[in-house]
Amino acid sequence: MNHFQTPPSPPRWATRLLHWYCAPELLEEVQGDMLEEFYFQCRHNSVAAARRDYVRNVLGFMRPFAIKRKSSPSYPILPMNMIGHYFTVALRQVLRHKAFSAINVVGLAIGMTCCMAIFLWVADEKAVDNFHAKGDHLYNIYMTVRSATDVEGVYNTPRRYDSVTHVLIDDAKEAIAEVQGLAFYATGYSMPWGKAETFQAGDKIYKLEGSRASNDFLTMFSYPVIAGDPKTALKDIKGLAISRKMANLFFGSPEEAIGKSIRYENKRDFEITAVFEDLTPQSSRRFEFLANWDAHMMRGGMEWSSNNMEATFLLADGADPDQVAVKLNKLVQPRLDKGLPYTMEIGLQPYRDQYLKSNFADGKPVGGRIEYVRIFSGVAIFILIIACINFMNLATARSVKRAKEVGVRKVIGSPRLYLIGQFFGESLLLSFFALALSLLLLQVLLPVFNTVTGKNLVAPITSIPTWITLISLALITGILAGSYPALFLSSLKPVRVLKGAVQFTQNAIWFRKGLAVFQFGLSILLLIATIVVSQQTAFMQSMNLGYNKENLLYFTIEGELSKYDKFQAFKQKALQLPGVRAIDRSSEAPHAMKFIVDDNDGAAETGEEDNTAIKWEGREKGEMVGFKPTSVGFDFVKLMDLQIVEGRSFSREYATDSADAFLVNEQAVKEMGMKDPIGKWVSAWQKKGHIIGVLKDYNTNSLHERIRPLIVDVKEYEYFGVILVRTEAGKAKEVLAGMEQVYKELNPNYPFSFRFVDEDYNDMYRNEQVMSKLSNAFAILAILVSCLGLLGLIMFSAEQRTREIGIRKALGATVSSIVGLLSQDFVKIVLVSFVLATPIAAYLMHQWLNGFAFKIDLSWWIFGIAGIAALLVALVTISFQAIQSARANPVESLRSE
Amino acid sequence: MKRVYLGEFEEIVLLIVAVLEGAAYGVNIMHEILDQTGRSVRLNQVHASLQRLEEKGMIVSKMSDPTPERGGRRKRIFSITAYGSTTLRDIQQVRATLWSVVPSNLKSFTA
Repeated sequence: MNHFQTPPSPPRWATRLLHWYCAPELLEEVQGDMLEEFYFQCRHNSVAAARRDYVRNVLGFMRPFAIKRKSSPSYPILPMNMIGHYFTVALRQVLRHKAFSAINVVGLAIGMTCCMAIFLWVADEKAVDNFHAKGDHLYNIYMTVRSATDVEGVYNTPRRYDSVTHVLIDDAKEAIAEVQGLAFYATGYSMPWGKAETFQAGDKIYKLEGSRASNDFLTMFSYPVIAGDPKTALKDIKGLAISRKMANLFFGSPEEAIGKSIRYENKRDFEITAVFEDLTPQSSRRFEFLANWDAHMMRGGMEWSSNNMEATFLLADGADPDQVAVKLNKLVQPRLDKGLPYTMEIGLQPYRDQYLKSNFADGKPVGGRIEYVRIFSGVAIFILIIACINFMNLATARSVKRAKEVGVRKVIGSPRLYLIGQFFGESLLLSFFALALSLLLLQVLLPVFNTVTGKNLVAPITSIPTWITLISLALITGILAGSYPALFLSSLKPVRVLKGAVQFTQNAIWFRKGLAVFQFGLSILLLIATIVVSQQTAFMQSMNLGYNKENLLYFTIEGELSKYDKFQAFKQKALQLPGVRAIDRSSEAPHAMKFIVDDNDGAAETGEEDNTAIKWEGREKGEMVGFKPTSVGFDFVKLMDLQIVEGRSFSREYATDSADAFLVNEQAVKEMGMKDPIGKWVSAWQKKGHIIGVLKDYNTNSLHERIRPLIVDVKEYEYFGVILVRTEAGKAKEVLAGMEQVYKELNPNYPFSFRFVDEDYNDMYRNEQVMSKLSNAFAILAILVSCLGLLGLIMFSAEQRTREIGIRKALGATVSSIVGLLSQDFVKIVLVSFVLATPIAAYLMHQWLNGFAFKIDLSWWIFGIAGIAALLVALVTISFQAIQSARANPVESLRSE
Repeated sequence: MKRVYLGEFEEIVLLIVAVLEGAAYGVNIMHEILDQTGRSVRLNQVHASLQRLEEKGMIVSKMSDPTPERGGRRKRIFSITAYGSTTLRDIQQVRATLWSVVPSNLKSFTA
C-alpha cells in the first residue's frame, strides 16, 4: 500500500482551457471555487465524478462575463455615436474642396455610367437565346470539316452530297437513347439578310422572311404559340405557323388566321395551323413564318431555296453532350460518301452559346460576339479603374493636409480602425453621390447608346437585383477608391505628423505618379484602338471593291420575270425610264455570293472516277479549287464597272459566247496554276467552254473573307437570281417609282421589293461600325476622366507650391516660366505612359486586325497622333490651372503664410 | 416607489449572501442554495448572478486571505450593501401587502 498516494487532481486540459479563455481578473476566484468544489466532490463522491463535474464547470464558465476580451480597453466595432460626426466631417470636406470633390464625383459618375451602360448591353447580349425553357438540354450540331489544306467549322447538318435532301442524322432520335427530341431549321445560304418570300391571301400580297422547321421545333423551343396547337402545327405538309404580325397583316387577328389558306410564291397553298408571338430581340433567329419541313425537303412542289440546315437536339437529363457527339459520329461516319477528300466530325454546342460563340478555330467554336462582350466589359472596367485612380490620387495628394487631422485624432485616442472607417466613409459618401449622378447620366445617354448599338435597352430601375448590383457597385468603387487613403493615412505616426515632419516618402510620390501613368496609359491605349478601329471601318467602307457599289440596287427574279420574253420586256421598259443607266441579271447578289462549288458537287451525274464539278485544261488529277460560280447577262461586266485585265468581256457579237465562253478572275487563274489562260478550256456543270477573259479581282463578300476564285458564264435564256439596276446618281427615288409601275404591270402576283447594294454592304459591317462608334465614345470618356485626374493633381500641386510661386514671381519670374515649371512633371507622366502603352496597343490591334482579310497597316502615325492628342489634351488641362496659379498675385499668397 | 428589478434567482442569491454573513463566496453560496432550497445550481450561474448583483450595487466584495483547500487561492467574499438589504425588505413588503389582500380561502389553505 502506497502511503504517499498522489492527491486527486482535476483534468489538466480543462484547467488549461480555463486559463486560456478566462478573464485574468476573474481567474483566481473562479479557479479557487472550482478546486474547492472538486475536493468537496472527491470527499463526498468519487474522484471520477469530481473530475466530470470539474469539466462541466469549466465548460459552464464559457460565458460572456468570464471570457477574456481580446484587447483592452474595449471599444465597439461600429462607433454609433461617432457616425454622425464622421458624416459631418465628410460633408465638410466635400464642400470645402468643391473642385476636388466635383472632379472626383464627375469622374466616378462617368466611370459608373459606362459600366452600367455596358453591363446592360452585356446582359442583353447574354440573354439572347436564353429564354427557352428547355435551354439546358438543347444542343446544336456543328461540323468540323478538315481537308488537306483547310480546317473549317460550320453550323450545318451532314447530308449525303449526291442527294441534298438526305439528312444523315434524321433517325438519331431512334438510334441514340439520350436524344429525346430532334428539330431541323433551315438557315438558307443567303441568310442572315434573308430572302423575303411572297405570300398572298385574298388581294393582300406581302413579302416576308421566314424559314422551314420540323415538327418538334415549336415544342422544343419556347416561342410562345398564341393560337393553334404547337404539337401538331408543323406536322402536315401544308402546315404553316405564322407570327402575330403576319396574322394581323393578312387576316386581322391571330384567331381569324387559324385554318385559313395562304398562297406561297404563287405556287402552293399553305394552311395556317398556328400563330406565334412576334419574336423579341432575345431570339437570334428571325422568322415571320415557319413552313413544314417536308415541304422544304420536297424539291418539286415548293421552291427549294436552301440547303443549309441547323439540327437541334433535346438531350435527356444528365446526358453528356460529348458522349452523344461520339455516338452521333459513329452513326454518321459509315453513311458518308466514300472517297471524300476531307473528313467530317460532329460536335455538340449548347444552343444558347451559338449566338455569342460562332467563330471557329481548329474546328471548335471559340469567339464571335463574345469577344465584343469581353472587350467592352474590359473597357468599362478600365474606365471605372481610371476614375478610381483619380480618386486615390487626389486623396493621396491631399493627405498632407489630412495628415494633421489624423495626428490630432490619434492623439485624442481614436483607434486606427475608426480612422480607416472614417476615410472609407468619406469615399463611400462620394461614390454614392457619383452613383446618383450616374443614374441621371444614364437616363440621358441611354437613348443615344441604343441608337448606336441598335438595341432597345431600358434601365431596370424598378427591380431589386438592379439596386443590389448598383449599391454593390458603389460600395466596391468606394472601397477601391478609398483604400489607399484609408490604409495609408491611418498608419501615420501622430508624433511625426504633429511635428510637421510628414513629407511624402519617395515611395508615395512614385505610387502617385505610377497611378497617373497607368491611367494615362489606359487612355492612350483606348485612343490608339479607336483610331485603328475607325480607320479600319472607313477603309472597309471606302475600299475599292473592284466594282462600283454606288447607285446599284437589286431585286429577286421571280414569277413572270423568270420567263425570257417577260424579262426582256421588263428590261426594255425599265431602260427607258429616266435615270436608269443599265440593267442586267446575275445568279447571285454581287456583294453576298455565298455559293461555293464544293469539290465534289455534281459527282452523281458524271459518274466518273474523278468527279470534280469544275475542271480546266492542264489540271492535275486530284487538284481541287473551290470556285464561286455565277451566271450573268451580257451587260453584267459593264453594269458592275468590272475591269478586264486580259482578253475581252462577253459580247453579243460572238454567237458562241452563250454556249462556250467563261470569264475567270485573277485569283482563279492563280489557283488553277494557268499561264496564258485566254483560250484554254474549262468545264463547269458539264458545260465545256473556253476562257475569253480574266477579270480583275473584286470582292464578292465582306472583307473578312479573302477573294475566292470566280468563274462566270453567260446564260441568255435562263432567268433566275437577281436583277441589278444601275441608276444615275441621286435619281434612285424617281427610278424606283417608275420601276414599280413597270414591275406591277408585268409581274402582278409579286410585290416589288428591292435593296441597295451599298446599304447591304454597310450592313455587313454593322458590328465594326458599332465597335467604332463605341470605342470613339469610350476613348473620349477615358481621356476626359484621365484629364480630370490630371487637373486635380495640378491643382493640388499648384496649391502646395503657392508660396514657391509667390516668391518666384516676386523675384521676377515670368508667367510662362512658372507654367513650364508646373507642367514639367505632368508632361513627363504623359510621355512615359505613351511609351508604355504603345507596344501593348500595337500588339492588341495587330490581333484584332488579323480577323480581317483586308486590313490597314499599323503605321507609326496612328501612334503618333494618339500620343500627340493625349499630350495636347493633357497640356490644355494642365495649363488651365497652371496659368491661373502663375498669374495669381504673389502678395495674396505670401501674405497668407 | 422606484421599482427594483431583481430576478428570482438573483433574489435567492442575495438572500443567501445575507444569510452567510462574512462567509459568502462562490462554492459556499452554491452549497447553501442546495441546502436551503433543495435546488441544484451550477457554479457559473452563481458567479454570473453575483457579478450582476455587484453591478447593481446590491453587494460588494473583497478578497480574502489565501486558503490551503483552494490550492492557495483567495476567495472573493461578498457582503450585502445597505441598498441590497433595502431592496430585499422592499420586496418582502410588497409580498406582505399582497398577501394581506389575498382572499382568505387561499390564505387558510396554505396556512
